[in-house]
Amino acid sequence: MNTTVDAAAVIGAAPVAEARNEEAETVNPAVYEFTGTVGDITAAQPRMTARNVDVWYGDKQAIFDVGLDIGQNEIIAMIGPSGCGKSTFLRCLNRMNDTIDICRVSGEIRLGGEDIYDRRMDVVPLRAQVGMVFQKPNPFPKSIYDNIAYGPRIHGLVGSKSELDDLVESTLRKAGLWDEVKDRLEQPGTGLSGGQQQRLCIARAIAVSPEVILMDEPCSALDPIATARVEELMEELRENYTIAIVTHSMQQAARVSQRTAYFHLGRLIEVGNTDDIFTQPRHRLTEDYITGRFG
Amino acid sequence: MEEITSGHTIKSYDRELRMLHQTVVDAGRQVEMQIVQAVKSLEDEDLDSANEVVLQDKDIDSIELQVDDQIIHIIARRQPMAKDLREIIAVGKIMSDLERIGDQARRIARLTLHFYDSDNSPPGYALVADIPRLALQVVEMVHKAVDAFADLDSRLAFEVIRMNSRLDEEMKAALRRLSTYLMEDARSVGHVVDITLGLRALERIGSHAAYVARHTIFLVKGKDVRHEDPETVQRELMD
Repeated sequence: MNTTVDAAAVIGAAPVAEARNEEAETVNPAVYEFTGTVGDITAAQPRMTARNVDVWYGDKQAIFDVGLDIGQNEIIAMIGPSGCGKSTFLRCLNRMNDTIDICRVSGEIRLGGEDIYDRRMDVVPLRAQVGMVFQKPNPFPKSIYDNIAYGPRIHGLVGSKSELDDLVESTLRKAGLWDEVKDRLEQPGTGLSGGQQQRLCIARAIAVSPEVILMDEPCSALDPIATARVEELMEELRENYTIAIVTHSMQQAARVSQRTAYFHLGRLIEVGNTDDIFTQPRHRLTEDYITGRFG
Repeated sequence: MEEITSGHTIKSYDRELRMLHQTVVDAGRQVEMQIVQAVKSLEDEDLDSANEVVLQDKDIDSIELQVDDQIIHIIARRQPMAKDLREIIAVGKIMSDLERIGDQARRIARLTLHFYDSDNSPPGYALVADIPRLALQVVEMVHKAVDAFADLDSRLAFEVIRMNSRLDEEMKAALRRLSTYLMEDARSVGHVVDITLGLRALERIGSHAAYVARHTIFLVKGKDVRHEDPETVQRELMD
């Protein structure tokens, strides 16, 4: 699906003769009139599909008619200024917004063809299939071992203790944490460094074999080295999982993702290949945001 | 230029981009003057003026180093994106083309010194005449290419690319004319070779001006048209 907005707002759409005048036009981000998402919202191999998604907090609408595919084995970054709705949209993807009483979601979000907002959908297995990692590392107040083992236990994914041991080890290895924690598995997860805690949380999410991992500002509390480790881990996980990440760091979006979606005032303004978004975005608002002209 | 350099939340970033852009525009004006002066020195047999052009080329070399420093600084400190990133990339390439234009102006100035600062008899004006004639066209190309970059005007940039095709044709005609002199009098071979090198310098300047134009189109439109023929460039611009 390709949708196009008015020519004045789309960079490079002007005929040659008018190029100078049109390029000089600017869009006021506060009063911009939305006329459709620029770019292809579909993915070649969609893992999740969202269509016509609206979200309200009470009377206030936070998301307007967003459509977007999350593709298989891709990292999709969602960027935009504070309050643009990117985290709200992310949280719709595993019904985390259900926990907010005044929040109402309409439209359609499907995981592998199944409507996740169908009233027969059980959110507990859904959240195992669509895991989440938050801004602040939040390991359970339990041992490192139990942080990983908790999910597989409650979802009945393992039978014996040795099976569980194997799963904990393989999960910690996938998260690149095994060598750092193998000798202190019984120590509390909260005793790890911030970066290690976040990787433990990612490990906890992948321990229940999710299809999709949602990450909401996963590195904002981490130092650059810990951030680099998490980004490296994301790249490795992409082989087996689908990842959607909300980030305030445009450099991070540019580094880790294959597709990028730009949100503004609750609308999905533009979506496209990350290479294109960061070198030649088509929408003026996207360009102004990623070049640091507002946000 | 307004949309490139205005509106960053960080104002010092605006200033840095604006300064970089202006430095390269100024360098473009300077190399244009160097070509004019070099060709005039040839017409006027003015050795002092030719020597000045040779010396001025060092200024452009030093501006190129300064621009490279600024580019490295901006990449390291600002991590430019989108149009800013294209600006940084394009500015570096444009500056490099301008520096080479300066080198070619110096070659023409050296031709003046070679012809008129030696005991050998200089060539007759008829033999030299193609250089000032074609230089008019080349100087216009450089001027328009720098204007196109200064104003981010892809239409004007395209005009420069078109002009370069015409220049190539004119060059072929001038070389054919030179060969007739050679056929008439084989003793003119030394002068014909020197003037051919002068024409070659102008042809290179035209080519660099066209590259400045092509980099400007990349900057404005995000399309890399370095190796496209003019018809394809036109189609790309209309997309």
